[in-house]
Amino acid sequence: MTIKVALVGCGKTADMHISGIRKLNAARIVAVCDIEPLMAEQLAARYGIANFYSDFDELLAIEKPDVVHIATPPPSHVSLAMNAIDAGCHLVVEKPLALDSCEAAQLIAHAERRARKLTIAYTYYFDPVVRMLRRLVREKVMGEAVHLESFFGYNLNGPFGSPILSDRDHWVHKLPGKLFQNILDHLLNKITEFLPDEKPLVKAYSWQGADRLHQLDCDLPDELRVIVIGEKQSAHGAFSSHSRPVQHFLTFYGTKNTAHLDFENSTITLARDSVLPGVLGRLASPFAQGWQHIREGGRNVLRFARSEYHFFEGFNYLLSEFYRGIVHDLPVPIPYHEILRVAVLIDQIASQVREEGARKG
Amino acid sequence: MKILITGASGFLGRAVVERLFAHGNLDLTCFVRANSDVSVLDKIRNRYPHARLDYLVGDLASPDDARRAVEGVETIYHLAAGMRGLPATIFVNTVVASKCLLDAIQDKKRRVVLISSLGVYGTSFLETGRVIGEGTELDPHPEKRNVYFHAKIWQERLFRAQAEKGRVDLVVLRPGILYGNANPNCGFPSRIGILVGSVLLVFGGGNPLPLSHVVNCAEAVVLAGQNAEASGQSYNVLDDNVPSAIKYLRSYKHQVKNITTIRFPFFATMLLSQVVEKYHVKTHGQIPAVLTPYESSAMWKGHQFDNQNIKKLGWKQIMPTEEAMRDTFVYLRGLNGHTQ
Repeated sequence: MTIKVALVGCGKTADMHISGIRKLNAARIVAVCDIEPLMAEQLAARYGIANFYSDFDELLAIEKPDVVHIATPPPSHVSLAMNAIDAGCHLVVEKPLALDSCEAAQLIAHAERRARKLTIAYTYYFDPVVRMLRRLVREKVMGEAVHLESFFGYNLNGPFGSPILSDRDHWVHKLPGKLFQNILDHLLNKITEFLPDEKPLVKAYSWQGADRLHQLDCDLPDELRVIVIGEKQSAHGAFSSHSRPVQHFLTFYGTKNTAHLDFENSTITLARDSVLPGVLGRLASPFAQGWQHIREGGRNVLRFARSEYHFFEGFNYLLSEFYRGIVHDLPVPIPYHEILRVAVLIDQIASQVREEGARKG
Repeated sequence: MKILITGASGFLGRAVVERLFAHGNLDLTCFVRANSDVSVLDKIRNRYPHARLDYLVGDLASPDDARRAVEGVETIYHLAAGMRGLPATIFVNTVVASKCLLDAIQDKKRRVVLISSLGVYGTSFLETGRVIGEGTELDPHPEKRNVYFHAKIWQERLFRAQAEKGRVDLVVLRPGILYGNANPNCGFPSRIGILVGSVLLVFGGGNPLPLSHVVNCAEAVVLAGQNAEASGQSYNVLDDNVPSAIKYLRSYKHQVKNITTIRFPFFATMLLSQVVEKYHVKTHGQIPAVLTPYESSAMWKGHQFDNQNIKKLGWKQIMPTEEAMRDTFVYLRGLNGHTQ
């Protein structure tokens, strides 16, 4: 069975989707679509895709795809997704799924009603280091989660950030939570999985730290700290546009062990109690840490040799699981409940950021 | 006569503004982005007390901003292009922006001076040593080129299509490697090779480097914009007496800093390109296709570029090549922390 795939939205994230789909034996990209025909044409030309459209409804009617990837700016996600579901398509939607959790819930409910599968492009949800952490938790190596620290560094002058700075009408400026809304899925979806409280206490602090942003004459907070307090667990999330080097990590503090997941370098290391007593234990500990890094480096070399060391390896895994689920009618890889809990947290944070912005004038 | 310069805050844009003032064009509008640094443009204006320099801030890929930009303008110097970033960003800033500009000027025919690139020619198919003049065909397979040239070829096609319909009085300039004393990125142009960490892989060998000092190039741009004979013409823009890649590197090492280089003859470059491309395909892009036989052949096969046409417009090199290289290297040496 070959699954016919179409993509709508030929902007910055389209290449990641196309590359991911092309790795799947069961899928074939039949068409791409963008409101700007030139964007659709160039993507089709670069990847040798036969058809391109500027009208999404026309694409649905002519190509009749089985799966649609939606990589457009967030304000258009829900309407495009609803149309695709009505046309009988399964969906991969870029994050954020919708502009708020109510819209997200409506979209998911619609997909369930029509028995279509939907997933969200959580790039890091299935990153190899997260999959390893899940295994350690499952095997009870970590114990129970006590606290989580999620850090997501961002470069506003990088390939994703600079278009936002160079255009004051960029769609990111118009999101309810602005820059944060476009990023927070990455920061929070690593927390919610291990912090099961339905209504944790959430407190967000934000500010604008970039000097060059003042040239833009617009309000774009770019530093965020979030504290999430549950009944038995807590979490701290930090989004930073100014700390260097740009880092991306998660620290899982468990009742038995603490794990540090470095997404930039794709390593997971454990901070364990030393088996040696007193000063000997302290002397030995850095060597034990060093050995873990050597082991992780070696593992990455092996993964590279097996062609499993792509930058978006977690996204590739997500797609392979999602498409496998379509072929064999399996549950979706990211539970809808998780997607909605993240969306609710984003709503709360965006609301607090707006209030703080209004207070500061 | 009101003149618009897109991409005015860039390396070439600033030099074009200076040359336009120097040629007596004292009413300029610069289209810049919200985060563009215009301090250098301000300094240039201060040197011409009678000149008027307005800024229009916006995004040329927005039809509204493009319409606003061309209001009351007679001549457009279109320099804006996406130089770096993701493929989609480069394409939007080069091609979609050009489309919006063309749509905005449909009501009235105006002169547009388009800054294209020597890289748009279909040189991959041409034999070694071939002299590339303006009559050479554009690359028929832009999708096989790197994303920058891909976009530049597409951009030129768009403008040519409109010019053929008589909607634009088009002049195309195709500069070579722009260099000079205000561009920190001009040390190792891609026609020399690729910098991997601190090692430079040299693929350009003995090929002549089509260097164009930014002041010389800006002079050519302004001359072409002002000359009625230039209508409908294309011009290669490169300096005379340009050095080979190896000679340039030797001077760089002597005058700026030493650097480890590994030189690849052309057959080895092609072999390496085939390996990289095959590995890229086999591993589904685990490493990017930074080298492909098609691109390598276009870039490093050993073609020469002809600059006779621009001289017919009266263009003369303001800064001789030897002085231009010295000027650039002194600047780069300063960036590397050496005192003069």
